[in-house]
Amino acid sequence: MSESATPPDEAAALEWRDVTVTYGARVRADADTARTVAVADLSLRVERGGTVGIAGESGCGKSTLVSTVLRLLPRSADVAGQVLLDGEDVGAMTWGRLRAVRWAEASIVFQGAMHALNPVRTVRHQVAEALELHLAKAYPTDAARSARVDELLALVDLPAAKAASYPHELSGGQKQRVMIAMALVCDPDVIIADEPTTALDVVVQAQVLEVLAGLVRERGLTLVMISHDLAVLAAVCERIVVMREGRIVEEGPSRRVLDAPEHPHTRELAAAFPVIGDPASRRPARAAGEPVLPTGDDAALLEVRDLVVDFRARGTTIRAVDHVSLACAPGEIVALVGQSGSGKTTLARAVLGLQQPTSGEVAYAGKPLPRRRAALTAYRRAVQFVLQDPSASLNPKHTVYDAVAEGLRIHKVADEEARVRQALTQAELTPPEAFFGAIPSELSGGQRQRVVIAGALALEPTFLVADEPVASLDASVRGEILDLLLRLNRELGLGALVITHDLGLAWNIADRVVVMHQGRIVENGTCEQVLLDPQHDYTKSLLAVVPSALEVRA
Amino acid sequence: MTIASNDAVTVAADDTPRGASLRRYVAVKAGGALISLAMVVVLGFFAFRVLPGDPVRTMTQGRQVTPEQLEGLRRQLGLDDPLLVQFWNYLRDLATGDLGQSYVYKNSSVAELIADRLLPTLLLTGTAAAISVVLGLWLGQRTAWRRGSWFDKVHTGLALTFWSVPTFWLGLLLLLVFGGGLGWFPTTGMTTAGAGYTGVEHVLDVAHHLVLPVITMVAVVYAQYLMVMRASVLEEMHSDYLTTARAKGLRDDLVRTRHAVPNALLPTVTLIFLTVGGLVGGAVTVESVFSWPGLGYLTYQALSEPDLPLLQGTFVVFSAIVILMNFVADLVYRVLDPRLRSA
Repeated sequence: MSESATPPDEAAALEWRDVTVTYGARVRADADTARTVAVADLSLRVERGGTVGIAGESGCGKSTLVSTVLRLLPRSADVAGQVLLDGEDVGAMTWGRLRAVRWAEASIVFQGAMHALNPVRTVRHQVAEALELHLAKAYPTDAARSARVDELLALVDLPAAKAASYPHELSGGQKQRVMIAMALVCDPDVIIADEPTTALDVVVQAQVLEVLAGLVRERGLTLVMISHDLAVLAAVCERIVVMREGRIVEEGPSRRVLDAPEHPHTRELAAAFPVIGDPASRRPARAAGEPVLPTGDDAALLEVRDLVVDFRARGTTIRAVDHVSLACAPGEIVALVGQSGSGKTTLARAVLGLQQPTSGEVAYAGKPLPRRRAALTAYRRAVQFVLQDPSASLNPKHTVYDAVAEGLRIHKVADEEARVRQALTQAELTPPEAFFGAIPSELSGGQRQRVVIAGALALEPTFLVADEPVASLDASVRGEILDLLLRLNRELGLGALVITHDLGLAWNIADRVVVMHQGRIVENGTCEQVLLDPQHDYTKSLLAVVPSALEVRA
Repeated sequence: MTIASNDAVTVAADDTPRGASLRRYVAVKAGGALISLAMVVVLGFFAFRVLPGDPVRTMTQGRQVTPEQLEGLRRQLGLDDPLLVQFWNYLRDLATGDLGQSYVYKNSSVAELIADRLLPTLLLTGTAAAISVVLGLWLGQRTAWRRGSWFDKVHTGLALTFWSVPTFWLGLLLLLVFGGGLGWFPTTGMTTAGAGYTGVEHVLDVAHHLVLPVITMVAVVYAQYLMVMRASVLEEMHSDYLTTARAKGLRDDLVRTRHAVPNALLPTVTLIFLTVGGLVGGAVTVESVFSWPGLGYLTYQALSEPDLPLLQGTFVVFSAIVILMNFVADLVYRVLDPRLRSA
């Protein structure tokens, strides 16, 4: 510490003073954009025992900002300004001092515990490792360290037996709990949680947040939490800071930021996670002259009748889909919601003819789905599929033109170029010619998903099956893609089965909501019926854990 | 909460008894190895029947023989039988461990010849393999961790240069300089002829003879271990769990040895065993250059005849070693990677 202006007892637990982080240009060829600014002249003070949430889209610099606390940025990053941890300048620490501070004074719950845990080490080994490094005197023996690991696992509601597990033997929620236990092992003052619940489904997310919030409250920890979801932050933090392009655009008490956002960007973030029941985030009502929803099952375009899908693995049979019946009318948007493992994706695969049902059948336009390959081809032309992650579902070496034209070639459709042009225009990639030669890595996430949608549209389908179509997209892009889906629905009469774990998405666009739980459909009704007046206990419990409905700390 | 059962389901599915799963795994892999071996036995017979050259002519080269004598020799060797009968005899003999009689070494059976030569080959290739694996892996992870440093550049450059050098050329060069020129090391064989050393002296004598062939082999092969380990560590370099390890306050070299290396070893191990098996076959050149009394040298001699039973024998033995190594690789991989243990 050289010039500490504030006396030590007044030092904040964590403080950023005029911090600017730039990334080096070694990876980039063009010298003009020599350095990318990730964090721009940012100051933020987190008081002892304070809980602050940092919100923003991917690329806004929020992860870079918290990485400065333990100096974990790659060598190409250049940090200017001061980061003070308990009044001590992190940037001025020697390597030895820094290593002593890491994890002992501040620890991190990393994003995606899936990758943040070493796959070939047991949980016990990984949690105890930090004890061995920092608290060797307090826990001198393996037995003492093991006892401490058990104690921490109990704290995050995991049985002690899990200590002997390897990460792949745990579920996503359990891994995230192990991450939290690991972060607490040395009793640090500051905990940084980087998207601790992204990639978890709502129910598990609620459980993990509960554990985290409880621990922070009981132990008076200082918490800095990052998320793109304002409601998640509001559930745990007193204060929310909204970042955009490396700067803070809004800051205030959680309740206020959530209920009355001032900056347009905050409003955009808030809109991406709609409050169920709020008419403003509901799809516009159908105007006169638009396709009218037929009623009655006989008019169904796509029908699933008493479908059962079993998976056999080593003698045991797992029933993924259990006597499900479902009907989608022409032009109707149906949201199929459920937790991961509820069988919703298996159902969708069966609908597409990708999964042979054990019994029951899928019927399209009144006719049962053919089993022969040639006949299936015709069916697949009418029913198209949009996958979750466009970066994974597009071949990275194929140009946009090839990606869109592939379906046309398979189905031997004439007039290829005109159809590709039309599909790209419908997917709002204009002018279409500008995108013909592009490869996926040159496009943004939203543009990629549009290419996937264009690929589906090129065949002029009458029905679309979309598996989590916006889950991998940022808040602002999410809205655009949903608008696109609604417009296609309105103008082309395109019906859709949208599979999602996100009840907010269902509220955004669906005509009808079908709730699936352990392979069965437990509730089926109009969007308003199911989401505003749920009948089944499972639907109620799902709605109860949606962050926007969680009780917000005042 | 009624719906929290999801976690329990995933875990229950994993709880198959480990012992049963292990037995099953070993049985499947061993079965695969045996099938491969059976294919080798069949292939070994027919492949060498396609070779050009008439063994009977070679055997009688430089001597006056009548067509009747040639015919008699053919009958004696069983070469006049139909191919399928010959194959049946070969299989029947093989079942009793009889690999046949060498055409060239008239007084020894193939099995005896191979038994005599196996140990020297295993000594040479085993030593060379151990040294090149240790050297390659160690250099590989160091060069990856300091990617772009002078250490990296020098070592990858050097390794690739040796890798590109023809084995026999390097062997001859070493032989000329350190054997012939400087006279530091013996030039042929495994022991000093006629010295009759015993005990420690014998061991030292063999070790002395071993130096040049081992250096030749190591120099030519260690690059592949270095490059694979380097690539494998580089792949792990940006893994999130390494950031976790750093954030915990681990020293840089502990992050490497405790977290990066165990993960990087996984893809490397398979390759190591694959190539170590292959090294035994690769010994042909080195053994020929240094007149090392091993299987490789024997194969080289058998090829020039062609001594069919001997070739079949060495072919089966070389292949068996490769298959065995692959089997071991599967077992070791399972020990190293906990994710495979439940599979």
